[in-house]
Amino acid sequence: MVGRRVVVVAVVVVQLALIARGYWSDHKEFAFQMFPESSTWRADVVRVTADGRRVPVELPWSGYRWDELVPNRGLPYPSVRHHADAGLDNQLAFLEEALDWVAHNTPRDRETRYLEARVTSWHNDDPPKVELIRSDVRGGAR
Amino acid sequence: MNVSAAGAPPRARGLIEQFDELLGRSVSMRGLALLRVLSGPVVLLHLRPYLSDSLDGHTYRDAFHHPYAAWYPELPEAAYIALLWLAAAAAVAMSVGLLTRLATATTFAIVAYNVFLSTTHFHNNRAYLLIVLGVLAVAPCGRELSLDARLRRRRNKPPLDLSAPAWPLWLLRFECAAIYAASGISKLVDPDWFGGTVTWQRVVRARDELQALPDWAVSVLTDRSFHTGAAKFIVLTELFIAVALWSRRTRYAAVWVAVVFHVSIEASASVQVFSFLAIAVLVIWAVPSTRDRILHIDPAKAGHRRLAALVRALDWLARFRVEPAEPGSRAEVVDRNRSAIRGGPAFAFALSRLPLTAWFALPALLLPSVRRARTRR
Repeated sequence: MVGRRVVVVAVVVVQLALIARGYWSDHKEFAFQMFPESSTWRADVVRVTADGRRVPVELPWSGYRWDELVPNRGLPYPSVRHHADAGLDNQLAFLEEALDWVAHNTPRDRETRYLEARVTSWHNDDPPKVELIRSDVRGGAR
Repeated sequence: MNVSAAGAPPRARGLIEQFDELLGRSVSMRGLALLRVLSGPVVLLHLRPYLSDSLDGHTYRDAFHHPYAAWYPELPEAAYIALLWLAAAAAVAMSVGLLTRLATATTFAIVAYNVFLSTTHFHNNRAYLLIVLGVLAVAPCGRELSLDARLRRRRNKPPLDLSAPAWPLWLLRFECAAIYAASGISKLVDPDWFGGTVTWQRVVRARDELQALPDWAVSVLTDRSFHTGAAKFIVLTELFIAVALWSRRTRYAAVWVAVVFHVSIEASASVQVFSFLAIAVLVIWAVPSTRDRILHIDPAKAGHRRLAALVRALDWLARFRVEPAEPGSRAEVVDRNRSAIRGGPAFAFALSRLPLTAWFALPALLLPSVRRARTRR
């Protein structure tokens, strides 16, 4: 009986805490904020090579294609202005994580030092905001 | 007396005992059993993209993913794919009620494992699915509407008790209402949402998709001032559902509105399995007792026989006992409060209590002639 009571109270408390967490967390697990924003975004994503070149990721490199590496979460075509389905914070957090993932999971690429996204975002009907997001720096780039 | 409440002050002790009584109250698991049956196809729909990718030899590992925690165990690709197919088989077994407890727990465990593999796997509809599967896994909801029950009958074993402690049902009701409330409140406190900016911008940007509508409709839908009111209507609808589900007086209205709400969302947005799941979950709001209404029919009348056949076929929540009445009598439904409805209104009332026909029949109960037809026995 005590165990039953503890389980029910714990689930209720955790659920309410997760709903509250949704107001400040990028990833709003179990917060159930549906269709939160009409915000949009676009980004110029480039690979910055060891010799300083800035190569758009729309161009395949070392046998990789950006849209195959990052086909999900609204990220395969970053240069096209998109709706941020789950809000801007969530979308840009995914973009940042995607840059890091690509930086760490493209072993045939021996020239890229890091990836960089110049992001323009429109929060609902606010004026556009521009920010720069960079991946981790890769080791071994020539 | 509850041992754990023994040391508490009298008032707190009373509250704890009431709370324990509420959680331990023996209620019918029929609603959860029906939800279990409906959840199997929802799980298959949820798994479909993963299974489809696996047939091409692709898994989440081949593209961008982001683990929640470095320590979270990742399986070799072949084992991961095998696990996904096991989940699909378990979902089918869960739905038909074969080794129900094991199948439901397996479905829940694998779906949860897969969702928590990567932040990219997480969506609101999947969170809701996890909650539903978690509750079904702990509730004894395989004792009816299941192959297990049929096999038990065939082996001449006594049927298992169809009632069980209510706490999983109350917990799922809380989660269901919390989801509508969380969504509604997040929009209520956001001036852009409540003021109509968000919906207006979404519609204006999707103007190309409105071409099938007449010009006047497009003009209204893209008008800024329309959204000032429409956004408030949407927010209040969500909050109404969250609150009204709790009262028996308003529950049918809340369920009716919720169905319209989810059908509208399904028609206008891509929400994966959310609409199907959310409509299926509404069955848990049925009063958790069974066969407590009686449908009296005259077996000599073809119309009565048809109604009885319909009720027997579609009474998935086991609301009715169908019993023969005196020859020549009108069809009659005796409600659980012993009031009776006869004639045409009895047809409407019976259909309003069947999951598949309720949405269509419920408005008929508002007709004055139907309202007047209810009499005390």
